[in-house]
Amino acid sequence: MSFIVRQISLTADGREIVRSTTIARPQLSLGRAAESDIHLPDLALDADHARIEQVDARTIRVRATGTLGFDVDGRTTLRAEIDPAIGAELRFGGHRIAVSADEDGATVLTIRRVDALSEASADREEATAFSLRGLIPGKRLTAWSAALAILIGFLVVPIWSVATRPAHAPPGADRIIGDKAWTPGPLSKAHHALEGQCEACHREAFVSVRDNACIACHKDAHDHAPAGRLALARETPGLGGQLLAKVAHAFNKPPAGACVDCHREHEGAGPMQPTPQAFCTDCHGSLKDRLKDTSLADARDFGTAHPQFRPLVETVPGKHPTFERKSLDQPITSDDGLKFPHDIHLSATGGVAKMARTMRAEHGFGDALACQDCHKPTADGTRFLPVDMERDCKMCHSLSFETIGGTMRTLRHGQPDQVIADLRAYYRSTAPARPIELGGMARRRPGDYAEGRIYHAYFGAAATRPGNADAAIRAVFSKGGACYDCHVVTPPGSNGATTWRITPVNQPMRYMMNGWFDHAAHRTEKCESCHAAPKSSAATDLLLPGIATCRTCHGGEQSKAAVPSSCAMCHSYHAGDGAPWVPATLRTKREDADRPKRSRHAT
Amino acid sequence: MATAAPTRVPARRDRGAVLHDGFLRHARFRWLKIALLLCLACIASYLLIDVTPHHNGGSWYGYTLGTIGALLILWLTLLGVRKRAMTAGRWSLKAWTSAHVYLGLSLIVVATLHTGFQLGWNVHTLAYALMLLVIASGIVGIIFYAALPAALSNNRAEMTQGQMLDAIRAIDRQLHDAAQPLPHDQAALVRLSLDDDPFGGGIVARLSGNYPRCGTARAQAALRRWTGDRPDTGNDPLERIDALLERKRAMLARLRRHLKLKALLEIWLYVHVPATFALLAALTAHIVSVFFYW
Repeated sequence: MSFIVRQISLTADGREIVRSTTIARPQLSLGRAAESDIHLPDLALDADHARIEQVDARTIRVRATGTLGFDVDGRTTLRAEIDPAIGAELRFGGHRIAVSADEDGATVLTIRRVDALSEASADREEATAFSLRGLIPGKRLTAWSAALAILIGFLVVPIWSVATRPAHAPPGADRIIGDKAWTPGPLSKAHHALEGQCEACHREAFVSVRDNACIACHKDAHDHAPAGRLALARETPGLGGQLLAKVAHAFNKPPAGACVDCHREHEGAGPMQPTPQAFCTDCHGSLKDRLKDTSLADARDFGTAHPQFRPLVETVPGKHPTFERKSLDQPITSDDGLKFPHDIHLSATGGVAKMARTMRAEHGFGDALACQDCHKPTADGTRFLPVDMERDCKMCHSLSFETIGGTMRTLRHGQPDQVIADLRAYYRSTAPARPIELGGMARRRPGDYAEGRIYHAYFGAAATRPGNADAAIRAVFSKGGACYDCHVVTPPGSNGATTWRITPVNQPMRYMMNGWFDHAAHRTEKCESCHAAPKSSAATDLLLPGIATCRTCHGGEQSKAAVPSSCAMCHSYHAGDGAPWVPATLRTKREDADRPKRSRHAT
Repeated sequence: MATAAPTRVPARRDRGAVLHDGFLRHARFRWLKIALLLCLACIASYLLIDVTPHHNGGSWYGYTLGTIGALLILWLTLLGVRKRAMTAGRWSLKAWTSAHVYLGLSLIVVATLHTGFQLGWNVHTLAYALMLLVIASGIVGIIFYAALPAALSNNRAEMTQGQMLDAIRAIDRQLHDAAQPLPHDQAALVRLSLDDDPFGGGIVARLSGNYPRCGTARAQAALRRWTGDRPDTGNDPLERIDALLERKRAMLARLRRHLKLKALLEIWLYVHVPATFALLAALTAHIVSVFFYW
């Protein structure tokens, strides 16, 4: 009965060295202690760890002496019986012992150190151990997974969603997934409702937004001019512009003049951005060169290249007035049929001012009359209402002619026939009622006397009525009279008139029909800074300022003027009667100016 | 008579004849100058060219800057290919790396102007943010490359990293031998140190250099509970082990500092490279989406 113990160790170059010892004893001790039969210098073992005994010819028993066990074929135990002929594998700490039997029946214990002495001693690839490999996910893995995730999330999903969308689905229905991440910025306030419905404007993939997308909602948007004339009017761009146009064409952008040229989107929430001046001057800067038949003068920049204003003025007043556009380069007149000296009314001295002072309490006048005492703005403040005699003049220019029971009777303004009638009635200047006997086919009383009496009664009475009325009527309508002071009067007989006639007055509220001017926006200015009324002695003086006056504040879009003004401030591309579209910045300013100032300390 | 010893005037180096020029100083900062010119040109044109209503990536100028930026990004990415083939000369890898660094930095200006400062929660800003992440990690890399090699060299004290590991292995063998006569519980303490993987501890420990659960430190602390109140007689195996553990701790500290510095030299690339690929993907999505909803 003996054990053959084979200790296998490795040389530095990995060769195996086998030392074989035969121990002829039925029982072997195993442990860390040097005196053990099987000495395993393994700190995981006790000094006396286990016994290996021969039980009979076919059985050996392995039992732990202490509480630390060992592994048999991978299972931890304190005791095991093994048939060496079948064999088993024991494990003590970092050592493995293979149990087998040799041809002679002796039990062979093959011992091999399998674990390194320490973790540091374990074999490892230096390049790997000293690098971060294994500690964090590899670069390649992270790179590909991140790239794939982004491509799927931001490209594949939206494109797939567009591709599988039913054709002709209305915008808003059957939403496209994932294209929200594609928006380059919020839409303007006007288009806010379309946020997230990209397909409403971006109708086809790789086709830029076309006008038909805009017209789908803006059905009444009309062109500035016929398309043919627009195309003819557009200036040929410079070399750079041509290159840009070619590139834009190559990338399938619509030709110049598309809605999106002026109306830019995705420029941030809030009001839409104003249209730049360049879009107008592309054509209007040198329109005459290309459109020979145009009546429009060229305009490139309000501050430097804009024609003089040409207001529409009345040349012949009357029932059928004639109008004409005249340039403000020279002082021009507009005859609206009224006589009115502004200078006398606005003078700080003289009768008018004196009269205004006496009426201060009643009408709120100042030391002299001011513009607003007679001129009343429209509700929106853009323009001024025509001067109304009853409202704006009568407090001074009274038409009273009689007091009855404390009430003044006045002549009726605007009704010359009534004036004549009233005056005649006042002087009892009318003939008595004509008796029926004097009528043609009427019944008559018989007898000559009767006829004679009637005749006398009528014509006698008529002859005794005073004739002062005619003088009074003439006085009213003639120089020095109430009407004549302000109106152009046609006496009876002249020009085929049968009675006194007043030329109708036509006070226009707007002189510049193609440009927009808003008085409310100029509220901080004095009237006189633009309108030279205090120096005007005739109502026919057109008191509109020329472009030079405007240019004291307004310059071109890019100018350093106090108010840089692009074309769109006064002109509208889609021309209409309303105010042109005002840039947001100016609009807010104006609204703020109207609003009562709120103070934190207000009680 | 005393004559002034002729002081040796250090010969001025000839142009370009520097013994070693880093990629930052390459060719007397040629690529720094080129990149600065590019930035200045972009800033000047941004200020001079009037895009209405305001600058954005969708104007012709924005598309121009975007094209320059995208081409730059593609070219910068090619360093990953280029670096695998080292050559010398005008288009040497060093010149290429120098251009990579400075042109990469100039991308901050080019791409920011391309955005027109219009940012939002979308794929376009994602691409921009990823680009900034790539550049930031690159800057960190340059800083580490400039500062750490000296520290790495100081720490190594003329040892190779293999030698550092061998030194620990030698201490481990001695610990193993010295612990043989110890009873099991004390031997278990020594095993605490032996079984502790010097490369373990995870990424946080590797980058910070702090190993709060260091086996060797714990073994030594526990051992001193036994030896602390006993006189050192000179033949106590525990005292020998204590000395060995002390040496191992010193060696481990050096190794761990080495690992930390090496990790820092590497870690930025673990951001730089994956972020670059993510950027390329986001850039693709950015460009395709713009033309898809043209």
